[in-house]
Formats: sequence, structure tokens, C-alpha cells
Amino acid sequence: MKDARAPWLRPVVALIISAFFLVPLYMILVNVFKQGEEITQSPSSLPVPPTLANITGLLSRTDNLFWASLVNSIVVTTLSIILLTVLSAMLGHYLARSRSRWARVAMLLLLAGLMIPPQVILMPVTQVLRAFGLMTTLQGLVLFNVGYYIPFGVFVFTGFLRGIPIELEEAAAIDGASRTRIFWRVVFPLLRPATASVLIFLGVWIWNDFIDPLVILGPSQGTTITTGIYRSIGQYQADFGTVFALMFLATLPVLIFYLFLQKQFVKGLTGGATKG
Amino acid sequence: MAVDVKTTPVPASATLRSRRPGRIPAERLRSFAAFGAPGLLIYACFVLAPIAISFGYSLTNHNPFNPPTKFVGLENYRLLFTDSEFLTSLRVTTILTVIVVIVPNVAGLGIAVLLDRKGWLYNALRTVFFTPMVLSSVVVSIVWTRMLDDEGPVNQALRALGVDQPPGWLSDPRLALYSIATILSWQMLGFCVVVYLAGLQGVPTELAEAASIDGAGPMRRFWSVTWPLLAPALTINTVVLLISAFKAFDHIQVITHGGPGTGTTATIAYNVLQTGLVANRQGYASAMAIVMLVIIAAAAAVTLRVLNRREVNL
Amino acid sequence: MKHRALLTALAATVTLAACSVGQEQTAQTQPGAAGKKEISFLVFETPNMTPQVWDAAIKRVTDKYPDISVKKLVAPSADRVSYAKQLLASGQFPDVMIAVSPAGFAESGAMAAFTPEELKDFDFPNNGAVNGKIYQLPTNTQTIPVVYYNKDLFAKAGISAPPKTYAELLDDSAKLKAKGITPFVVGGGKDPFASSLAWTATIATDVYAKTPDWMAKRRAGTVKFTDADFVKATTKFADLAKQGYIDKKDVARDYAATEQAFLDGKGAMYPMGNWFAAAGDDPKRKPSWEIGAFNWPTDDGSTVVPAFTGGGLSVSATAKNLPEAKKFALAYTMDQANLDASVHNDGLYPAVKGYTPPADTGAVFKLGYDLYQQGVQNKTVTQAFGWESGNDGMLPGLVDKWQAAAQDLITGNKSVQEVLSSLDDEWSKAS
Repeated sequence: MKDARAPWLRPVVALIISAFFLVPLYMILVNVFKQGEEITQSPSSLPVPPTLANITGLLSRTDNLFWASLVNSIVVTTLSIILLTVLSAMLGHYLARSRSRWARVAMLLLLAGLMIPPQVILMPVTQVLRAFGLMTTLQGLVLFNVGYYIPFGVFVFTGFLRGIPIELEEAAAIDGASRTRIFWRVVFPLLRPATASVLIFLGVWIWNDFIDPLVILGPSQGTTITTGIYRSIGQYQADFGTVFALMFLATLPVLIFYLFLQKQFVKGLTGGATKG
Repeated sequence: MAVDVKTTPVPASATLRSRRPGRIPAERLRSFAAFGAPGLLIYACFVLAPIAISFGYSLTNHNPFNPPTKFVGLENYRLLFTDSEFLTSLRVTTILTVIVVIVPNVAGLGIAVLLDRKGWLYNALRTVFFTPMVLSSVVVSIVWTRMLDDEGPVNQALRALGVDQPPGWLSDPRLALYSIATILSWQMLGFCVVVYLAGLQGVPTELAEAASIDGAGPMRRFWSVTWPLLAPALTINTVVLLISAFKAFDHIQVITHGGPGTGTTATIAYNVLQTGLVANRQGYASAMAIVMLVIIAAAAAVTLRVLNRREVNL
Repeated sequence: MKHRALLTALAATVTLAACSVGQEQTAQTQPGAAGKKEISFLVFETPNMTPQVWDAAIKRVTDKYPDISVKKLVAPSADRVSYAKQLLASGQFPDVMIAVSPAGFAESGAMAAFTPEELKDFDFPNNGAVNGKIYQLPTNTQTIPVVYYNKDLFAKAGISAPPKTYAELLDDSAKLKAKGITPFVVGGGKDPFASSLAWTATIATDVYAKTPDWMAKRRAGTVKFTDADFVKATTKFADLAKQGYIDKKDVARDYAATEQAFLDGKGAMYPMGNWFAAAGDDPKRKPSWEIGAFNWPTDDGSTVVPAFTGGGLSVSATAKNLPEAKKFALAYTMDQANLDASVHNDGLYPAVKGYTPPADTGAVFKLGYDLYQQGVQNKTVTQAFGWESGNDGMLPGLVDKWQAAAQDLITGNKSVQEVLSSLDDEWSKAS
């Protein structure tokens, strides 16, 4: 299909709509390179001349807030999404291929948890974590992330598995392969696009999560980058340049991560049906 | 219960089992232990158990600062349905959810159709549209607070266009909720665009061409050929939008703090936290949480059921 | 069994990760060093109270008591009270905390009471008591609000002197408005308290001036929000908005932007706590025009100074090193340099016996301080509604409802009667 009559129309309309959409992003970006006074007086002007003071000031903070919380965020997010991918792929496969009544009940329970706001169950979660002695530990936060986000992983994987013919697994089963072997050798490689979606989604969500690390890690165990941003608003509320810089740096890793997995990501979400 | 994704008949899985008729329960147990149990166990510990604990509290007058805790039966639930503040927050949550589910879905589809072309420009725009999704909601909130400020770019632009009294987007009690919904929609829009684009690019061109030869106009072609094939994209978008709408908390905390005034932007999730953490009435807050969970579960069940049926009927 | 190896590796990584948690470097002085007792100290950061300011303040005390080491904890926002509750509920209550109202914490036994001996150096050793005991050091006094005004804008509207009576205040507001100047600057958004200061003022002049123990009576149930005096005070506040003297749109503007708006000359009068002095005296932010200040006027011209004394440190009853925690709290509070810093950085009036503010305080600080000293001499100091602590304050949760109610009145979304009866309702729910 070609835009026969007015080939210039589509790009122009696309650019105009995108321009409106872009204004808030532009506001963030220009203010990273402006100083406090300039931001309050003319928040939307171009940074002329641009300054790197916000970024350098942040990176050289004596209390190491940025680097320390960056390390925490990377550790928590990486561990959580790897565990989540493995566990939810296995659980998703198990549930998608099982026809027992209990599997349905389990699926239903999982989907009910898909949309629960974390704030609503956070206090009892801390009680559970304390009972296990995992409160204020990274392990506790990672395990909570796994439990809390597993419904989404299962949702994506079961959706994707529907588009994968079962004959492959059957063939392997006839050859006498164990279920474990079938899963890792045959099924899991086929799940790659769905895995990309799960990694991206949960990576973004866990990276940007603010209240769970705040409460579970507690104040004495360091902080993640998102909690760090929120905390620094107090200090920089009259000078948002630093907050914008912090956020700009905090977003870069996830953005790069997304660009890296972009192609796979979309395939995984819309699964089998997009194959036509 | 056709709620779950896998109730779609998967006859093959039956075949898998019928071909191995001698499968003993012990082996099934083993495969459950290896595949199903780890995930379910962690889920049970960190989601189901906390819900059970909340339910327990919801039957008491628990207030950590005002012991002793007494069992009050369903009293909290009875009170909830006469509590105008709670009923208002139900309304707020509903409005917010409906807008946030519909607007990005519709606008996202439109923009996806617009961007459904090859070339560097469209590739770049696709990435741009996705960016807000990876931003922390705290930052989105700060920027939008500035955007919608009376002296922010939006009202400045309106003034330049000759509007004398541009609206108080966040200060007018009638507008604040819609402003918050717009902000959330903005953040989610790009995601919908990307998913719909993936769906559109999966539509085989032969199908559309065939329909075109049959004399169908572009609109008809879209509704009868393309739209049905976008069903999985619609499902994932709607689910993700529902998730973000129900979880919306940071935006409200950072932008309006539940205001201006009472009964304007305070959602149930926001009220649960205020009642539990600020007013210390944790028994009552737990009852609110449980009601919210029931509503969420129902919404999830209905949505998935409807959407899956569409997918199945392809 | 490749995946099992993978899982084992993962589990090992998770375990190991705990050791590699990125730690921020705080004012901590080597924990675990021989004989040191560690205490945790919850603080919060503002533009005035930066990490450097806190670290320096803590270091002055640990230099004096080398046997104490301090682990600084930072609240994620200025709302340190909710955060302290979260920490208490999740078993992480700090040993020492600053500016956390003891309401609730004290009754439930989470905080340790100070003895009269420990309180002997304070001007108001009984302020903010809970059931007769003090759980938060009554370290400093704040007048809430002082009305700061823009002398330039007053002159433009032809006003030569600040108003002495409430009628004059209304008169001046009308003059300002006629010149197209917004009379009052208020705030809101994520900081709803910024909407309520003028209401605190009218409650001081029309309720507390007459009935100083109004809150005790409200707790006993002998007075209500819907009583005549309270209605009068509330109506005054609501009318300011109705007349257009308060701009409805201001309720979405957060506190930092509101302060800046006044400094930028966006309005003539700014009722705010005297901590505004820190910004008003800041050479980097000082406006080109002169800032003046007056007490919110009464009907008959008598003066009333609403003030709150408290805001200091509290100690957890379960602190592992309780004696050291108390020692730290008192030493931190009494440290001359810390008191001077609180004057400079936060514009506070230390309520410590024999203390006089340093000579080099700014002009805006002096304005508020002089008004307060007159109030003390004339014995016209009252409570500041919405800011009291302990048994002097409202029930838990009510302050937030009251601040939201202030916004309802400004936007005109609810009537005075509706707002006050709903506050009575909320009170009965909370008790």
C-alpha cells in the first residue's frame, strides 16, 4: 500500500503529533542542562549555554548516592528478572500444558494477583519477610519481586505458548526425553521473544519501583536509584536541575536495555497471532 | 471459569497425555514439584499470604497505636459502604481506570496506523513514543506538574492563543482527575503504539490486497481484515493499561496528594495508605484493601474472558 | 541438569549479593570499632538541610562523644512521620529521630519519655506532652504564620503601613486587588499544608485567643468544629478566597514553587511559618524589594502570635543503646553550633534557656523574631492550629483532613458548614 495521493502528508502528520507528545520529554532533557534559576524562570527555553554542572555535581556527591544506588538497582533488577524469567517460564509452561482442575485454579489465582497495587499488601509483606528473617536484605527484595511479578511473566508466557505447536514436545517425548529436558532443550529456546518481553517489562517495572525497595530494603541498607531520586527531591526541590539529571542518568540503562531487545520485545507480546 | 489464558482448547496436550497412558501420579507430582511448585510457592508467600493477613486484620479494629485489637466481624465492611469518602474513591478509581484503558488504546491504534511504514523516520518515532514508558512515574509527575502549572507551557500557549482565563488543570477540583488521567495516558500511549505496530506488521499483506481487489474501501479493509488480527495486541494493551491504572499511586502522591481538597483525585489505593499509615486505622484500611482486591480480580476476570473469546473466535 | 546448576549459581549470587550492597558513605564513624555504641538517626533533607549540613551537625556531637557512632538514615520525603510509622511497622524503628511528632508513638510505648532532669534547660519543658510526659525535646519555637509582605507592592497599591485590624487587612486586600495584585500567596499540590496557613491564623485570632484550651475541650467533646467561634474563623478564611484575595489556582502549586512565587513578586502577602526567613535572607534568592512582616490582625487590633514549640529529637524506647541514644539527642540539641545552624539554615527560634541568636542573623529572621519576642512579653502567644503535637494536637489523620478542607474552602468546592461538619465526623471516626 502506498500513500499515492499525498506522500508528504503522512510524515508531516506523524511529526506534528509526535511534537505534541514530545513536549514533556523535551522539558526533561533541556532542564538536565540548565541551572536552578534558569529552570524556574524559563522551564521550556533551550539551555544556552548548556551546563553539565547538574550531572557532574551529582556524580561527585561525597556520599556517593548515585553510584551506590546504581549498583543496588542493577543487582536487584538483574537478579529479579533472571529468576522471574526462569520461574515464570517453567510455571507458565506447566500451566499451559496441564489440564487438571488445580492448574486452572492456580492460573486464576495468579491472574487475580496481576493488578494488585503493591502499596495495598506491603505491610503484611513485611511481616512475612520478617518471619523468614529476610527483611532489610536484598534477597528479601528479590524474592518479593519474584512473587509479586510472577503473574505477569506467566501471563505472557502462557499467551505465547499457545502459538507454539505442541508436536515438537510430543516428538521429543516419544524419543524418551524427560519433561525437564524437553522444556530446556525444546521449549525454552522457542520462547525467546516472550522472554525478551518479560525481561523488558519486568526490568522497567522493577527498576522504576519506588515503594517496595524503600520499605523492604529499609533506610540502613542503601537505596535503589529510583528511591534515590525520590529522596533527593526533598533536597533539590528548589533546583530541579539535579533531579532531572539524576533521572536522566537513571533512565539511560533501561532505555539502552530496551533498544537492545526492542525487536524481540514486540514479537513476544503479540505472540503467535502476529504470524498471521 | 474460562478466565485463564490456557482454557483455549489445546487438544494437543491431551494427545500428549493419552499417548503416554501409563503416566503415574508420582511422575506428575514430580513434574509439578519441578515446574509448578517453585513459582507458586513464592507467589503464595508474597502475595496470597499477605492478602490472607490483610483479610484477618480487616475483621478487627487493629490500630497499632491504640491497642488492644478486638475482633469486630464484618463491621468494617458495613462501615465502608456508608463511608462517603470511600464511595467517592471508588468513583475516582473507576473514572481513572476507564479513561486510562480507553484513551491510550484508541489513540495508540490511530498513531500505530499512522506510523505503519518503513523508514528511519518511523523507526525513530516508534522509539520516541516508547520512552515515557521507561521513565519513573516520579519524574513524569514532576515534569507534568510544571507543564500544567498556571505559568507552565500549556497555559502560556493558551494565553498566546488568546485565552484569558486558561483552566487550572490541577487546581480545579472538577479537572484535576482528568488531568491525572491524561498524564497516565500520555505515559502509556507509546507502549500501545509499539504493540499495535507489531500487530499491524504481522498482518499479511496478501489478505489486505485480496480484500482491496474485492473492492473494499480502506475503512472496511481495516475493520474486516486488520482489526480482528489485532486481537492479541488489544489483549496485552488492555491488561497492561488496567495494571497501570489500578496501580496508579505515585502520580497522585507527587502531583496532587489526593487533592485539591477532598474527593477529587484520591483513589482507593491512595486511601488505603492514608487510612492505614496516616490515620493508623489499619483494620479499616485492610477492609478497603480487600474490597479493592475483589474489584480488581473481577475486572481482570471479565476483561480476560471477553478478550480471549475474541481471540479464540478469530 | 544444566538448569539446576544455573539455579544453584543464582541462589549463590543472591546470597553473595547481600555482601555487595552499595553503601552510601554517611557520617558513620567506623562501626564496630572497639567500645563504640552505634545508634541510628533518622533525618530528612530539604534545600536548607542538605546532607552536608546533617553530617557536620552529627560530627560535632560524635567528636564530643567518641564512644558513640551514628548511622544516618534519610527519610524519602519531608513526610518523615509516615515514614517513621512504616519503619516501626516493619521492625526498623530508628533509635533517634528528628521532628517526628510523638502522637501515637508515645501512647503505644514506641518512644522513650524524657525525665524532668533531662528537660531542665528548655524554656517550655512541658510543651507537646502526651499523658503528662515529654517524648520529643521542645527544642525550638516557630511562629506559624507570620504574614510576610512585599513593601513594593504595598506601596504600589497606596498602602503606607501594615494593617492593624482585620478590617484594615480586608481593606488593603481590596486595594491590592484593584491594582491587579494578588493579595495572598498560598500553595498546595503535593504539600497541602501550604494551603492552610491563613486558616491557622484566623483560628488563632478567633478561637485560640478566646479559648486557649480549645483542643483539650475538643478532645473531651465539649466543643465542636461547628461551634460559633470556629465557624467565624473558618468563614473569614473562606471569604478571602471568595473575594478573590486568594487565587484558587494556587492550590496546585507545591511549597517550593510557592515560596519562589512570593519572592518573584507574584503576590503581596505570604502567611508562612517563620522558617521562610531562611529563604528570605538567602543572598542568592533575596528579592530586590524589601520584605516586611506583621502578625495576622484581630478584629479589635490586639495582637495574637500563634506559635508552636517542639520539633526536636525523639528517642526509641527499644533503642539498643538507650542511654547513648538519649545522650546523643540531648548533646545534639544543646550543641551551640547546632543551635546557631538551626537559626541560620531553618530560621528557627531555639527554646533553650540562656540562648540568644547569633548577631549576624538576617533581616527577615529578625522581623519574625521581634514579633515573637513582643508576643512573649505581652503574653499573647497561642497554639498554632494544625501544628500542635502530643495531646495539644488533633487526633491522628485529622491534620490531613483539615488541610484538604482548607483546599475545599479555597476552591469553593464545599461550604463552611459542609467542611466543618465533615471534620466533626472524621473526628468521631478517628476516636
